[in-house]
Amino acid sequence: MDDDLRGDLISDLPQSIIETILTKLPIKDAIRTSTLSRKWRYKWTTITDLVFNDKCASSYYDRPNSENNLVNFITHLLFLHDGPIHKFALSTSFLQSSPDIDQWLLFLSRKGTKELSIELGEGEWFRAPSCLFMYSKLTHLELVRCELDPPPHFKGFLCLKYLNLQQVLMPPDDIENLISSCPLLESLTLSYFDSLELTLCAPNLKYLSLEGEFLDICLENTPRLATVSVAMYMTDDIAEHFEHSSSCNIDKFLGGVPCLERLVGQIYFTKYLSVGMDRGINRIKYDRLKIVELYQVNFEDLNEVLAVLHVIVSSPNLKELQISGSSNTSAALLASDLGIWEKECSKDYMFDQLKTVKITEVSGILHEMGFIKFLLVHSPVLKEMTIIPSAYVTDGRLNMLVNLVRYRRASAQAEVIFVQEQL
Amino acid sequence: MSEGPMAVVKPEMKSYIWLQTADGSIQQVEEEVAMFCPMICREVLQTGMGSSKNYAISLPQRVSPAIFGLVLDYCRFHQVPGHSNKERKTFDEKFIRLDTKILCELTSAADSLQLRPLVDLTSRALARIIEGKTPEEIRETFHLPDDLTEEEKLEPLRNLTDDPRIRLLNRLYARKRKELREREKIKNFEVEEEQLVDKRSVDDLLSFINGGDEESKGVKAAKNKKKNRRRKDLATHSSSNNGNANHIKEPNCLPSSCHNGDVDNVSSPSKNSTFQDSASPVFSPKLEFDDGDVDDELDPAMKEELDREVEDFARRLNSVWPERMHEILSLGQERRPVPVSLNGNGAMKRCTDVDSR
Repeated sequence: MDDDLRGDLISDLPQSIIETILTKLPIKDAIRTSTLSRKWRYKWTTITDLVFNDKCASSYYDRPNSENNLVNFITHLLFLHDGPIHKFALSTSFLQSSPDIDQWLLFLSRKGTKELSIELGEGEWFRAPSCLFMYSKLTHLELVRCELDPPPHFKGFLCLKYLNLQQVLMPPDDIENLISSCPLLESLTLSYFDSLELTLCAPNLKYLSLEGEFLDICLENTPRLATVSVAMYMTDDIAEHFEHSSSCNIDKFLGGVPCLERLVGQIYFTKYLSVGMDRGINRIKYDRLKIVELYQVNFEDLNEVLAVLHVIVSSPNLKELQISGSSNTSAALLASDLGIWEKECSKDYMFDQLKTVKITEVSGILHEMGFIKFLLVHSPVLKEMTIIPSAYVTDGRLNMLVNLVRYRRASAQAEVIFVQEQL
Repeated sequence: MSEGPMAVVKPEMKSYIWLQTADGSIQQVEEEVAMFCPMICREVLQTGMGSSKNYAISLPQRVSPAIFGLVLDYCRFHQVPGHSNKERKTFDEKFIRLDTKILCELTSAADSLQLRPLVDLTSRALARIIEGKTPEEIRETFHLPDDLTEEEKLEPLRNLTDDPRIRLLNRLYARKRKELREREKIKNFEVEEEQLVDKRSVDDLLSFINGGDEESKGVKAAKNKKKNRRRKDLATHSSSNNGNANHIKEPNCLPSSCHNGDVDNVSSPSKNSTFQDSASPVFSPKLEFDDGDVDDELDPAMKEELDREVEDFARRLNSVWPERMHEILSLGQERRPVPVSLNGNGAMKRCTDVDSR
């Protein structure tokens, strides 16, 4: 209610609204409100979300002072703060590991912190103190460039829903234990891990994003998984591991995700999937899978092509497909085995929902063209197919076009867009 | 509202909810629009009220009819499921272009109606208004009273300022402003008393120059002398601190500021800017933030005085005689109300006597 006598418009709004407003300000501006008037002196001290970044330290001073400034700023602010702190986020390039950070984390562990995000500078990686594992109410945890070493008696974050670990040094067993000891986990992101063999048990997991060098990924217990995004890098070790592998990767990876809605695979993912294709696969239908994006598919490897085929044929409700090739040659390959397409599915099989297809980095090799032809023939409701040739291939484009024009289309409204200029 | 063929069939098909605003007036609102507000929704479902004029639901105190109209506009748009996210965003951006006062009232009303999306929207708009502004500007926008003392403004965040030089500057500046304010107050008292004060101060200076002619001034002179000295000390302090401050904030200040020699009109704008720059650590955050464009809290007249005083003392240091006299006299003259100018002339005459000696 307005104080009409003095015309004060805002100070008498409920504290919850004031806190909402203050939380939407950069932390410096929020603190500055304490000099506005008597009523505002301590309004900022109860905000529950604290977000710090490099702008909190003065930009005038050079680096050593910036680090001190930031540390002092945060320490004093925490001192003056009153009440629970739900969110603490620190993203800075000035700070590396420091005893101050450990103290802050200890302080916060007593304040019921639910969301914690720490991203420090490149340099000596920050080593998470043991008090981190005492955050019983933690729902969001995001760590970049740190060492994580859970104590042996650690029972897990029982409330954790969102976990994002990027460049985190952690004993491999502990990673799996950590994940499986967080029963409510819904979103997991692991980036830049080295040579990881991962077996995931996360009954509530809905979103998964993996990037790095993985030897093996086994989705053992992830029945609710809806979105999967994997970018697999390759090393010699991993290549060797693939060769000696005795399991069927498609089963291991996609065997337990019936609710999958979106699948994104990059770099060597299809290669990974293709391992063990010939060992017989369980036919699971992914009724909810609507979007499939598989990049860097090597169309010269028949197994990879078959893996892609397997995925899309098992998705009766597929709406959108994006594929990118990774070959650089336009040479026509060995004797074509045109029967492979029909081997995977019957002649009458139709992609009843497929509306959008985009195929990029096309080199015009046999299997690529075969794949395009296959899609055109079996997609009765196709609206748009975009084909972008690879920038490295200039000679074979006319051939590509000649073939494209010839292919039969099941859909009368299909537009086949051949993009000449790359962005 | 165009109903199309519906209108022909049965106008009463649409159901309404009756609502009473704080001022007592009752209006009816389409059901789906009103039910978009959780508070109204709950009232209808739990108590069954709102079905007729006699049983209108009373809206909370904070919801005036005009504001409620705005809330209804918001609800009417957003309760339609067909709009895309982009359309909703565009609507929100346009919707939020309101007068600050209305924005505050709207936030309050949305909160009492428990309409969380609207609370978030208005809060964000208010945050955008506050962001980047100096405390003064914020006070002006929201009509906040400036009722903190100087010390209170500095603490409890005083220890968040690292640099002891800036802290010292804060204190000096605060003291200086307090004095100026006191002098303002004195100015507003009886004219005579001011005459006396002014006259004495000029005479005091003259006596200082002439070597103690006007001894009869006694206590008041002494007091003024003390005051002058203190002011001078302050100014020198601030000057020297300005010098230091200049080192800190070199890109903003002209190097020629307060030290010696070149007293010309060019230096005064630089003085102004130095003072403003050094004033910035006082207000902005008491943390080392760089706000070169923060105004101090004085109104322009006092600021001018302040700057003039500083100039004045700096020039005093240089002891350029004729200029000094002019400065003193013009300072004295400006501060006098009209009737006393005679004395000013008188004083001038006396000066010329001195000159001609």
